Amino acid sequence: MAGGMDLGGGRSHGKKSKKRKGRRLGIRMDMTPLVDVAFLLLTFFMLTTTFSLPQVMEINLPPSESRSEVTESTLLLLRILPDGRVFWNFGTDVPKSIPWEELRSFLKGRAQSNPNLITLVKVDRKSKYENSVRIIDELYLAQITKFSLAPLLEQDKKLMGITDES
Amino acid sequence: MPAVKVKRMGIAIDMTPLVDVAFLLLTFFMLTTKFKPQEEVEVNLPASHAKFKMPESDVMTITFSPDGRFFLGLDSQQLRGQLFGERNKLKPSIAVTVEELTSLAQQARSANPKLRTIIKGDRSGPYGPAEDVMNALQKANIARFELVTETEAQ
Repeated sequence: MAGGMDLGGGRSHGKKSKKRKGRRLGIRMDMTPLVDVAFLLLTFFMLTTTFSLPQVMEINLPPSESRSEVTESTLLLLRILPDGRVFWNFGTDVPKSIPWEELRSFLKGRAQSNPNLITLVKVDRKSKYENSVRIIDELYLAQITKFSLAPLLEQDKKLMGITDES
Repeated sequence: MPAVKVKRMGIAIDMTPLVDVAFLLLTFFMLTTKFKPQEEVEVNLPASHAKFKMPESDVMTITFSPDGRFFLGLDSQQLRGQLFGERNKLKPSIAVTVEELTSLAQQARSANPKLRTIIKGDRSGPYGPAEDVMNALQKANIARFELVTETEAQ
C-alpha cells in the first residue's frame, strides 16, 4: 500500500508546484505512481497471456465389433517399429522401409492413384508417442482421413525380422 | 528532481491519452487472460499440422505420463465432485488406472453427453499407454477423441 501513500504525498506536492488557474478549482493529481502500477500490471498480463490454444487432431475409431473385408491389393500397411523406422507394404508384400521425409509425397501419390485405398497403421507399443502422432499427421496432410490404428503384433515383428529382445 | 523547481522551461506532457491506452490494454489483458490450469504432470506435446483449436469447455482430458501413469481431468467442478468424490473436487485431475478409465469415462459421458475427449501425451514417451487409453475409450463406446498437439514450426 505504499502506492497509496505516495499518491497522497504527490498530490499535495503537485498542487503547490503547479500554477493555479483562476477559472476553476482544478485538482491536479500526480498520476505517476498510478501509471507505474498500471504499466506494471499491463506488462505482467501481456507476458503471462497465452493466446494460442494447443491444436487438436481428431480421431474417429470404428466400433470394436465392426469387421470389414478388404482386398489385399488396396490395403496399405504402415508399420512403425520400436526404433521409429517406418515400413510400408501392400497386402502381403515384403515390407519396405521409407524415411519420414519421403512419407508425405509417397502417401500423397498413393492416395491419388487409388482413391479407395485402405490404410492400416500399426504402431509398436515401445515406439515413441510422437511417431504415432506424426504418422497420423502425415496421413491427414496426404488427405487420407480414413485409416485404422492397430497394435503391432508379434507376427508383424517376426515378418520384419526383429525379435523382441528388450 | 529539484532541478525542475529552478526557473526553467518546464515541459509538461499531458499523460492522459497514454494512461487511457495503458488502462485499455490493461483491462483487455486482464479480461482475456486465462491462466494455465494447474496440472498433475507436465507433458511435452508432440507437434502436428492440425488446424483445430482445443475446445475450452466440456472437455475430459486424459493425460498419460511417460512413466505410465494416467490422469483423468474434467473441466467442470460439479462433474468432478460427482465422479471423484467431494474430496477431490478441487483437483483439476486425478490419477486413475486404465481399468478405471473405461467406467469413469462412461459415467462422465452419461452425465454430460456433450463432453469431448482429449488425449494428452508426452512426445518422448512410449506409444503403449496411448494404445491402452484408446482401447479403454473404445470399450466405453467413445469413438471420437482428440489428440492434443502443438503447432509445428515451419
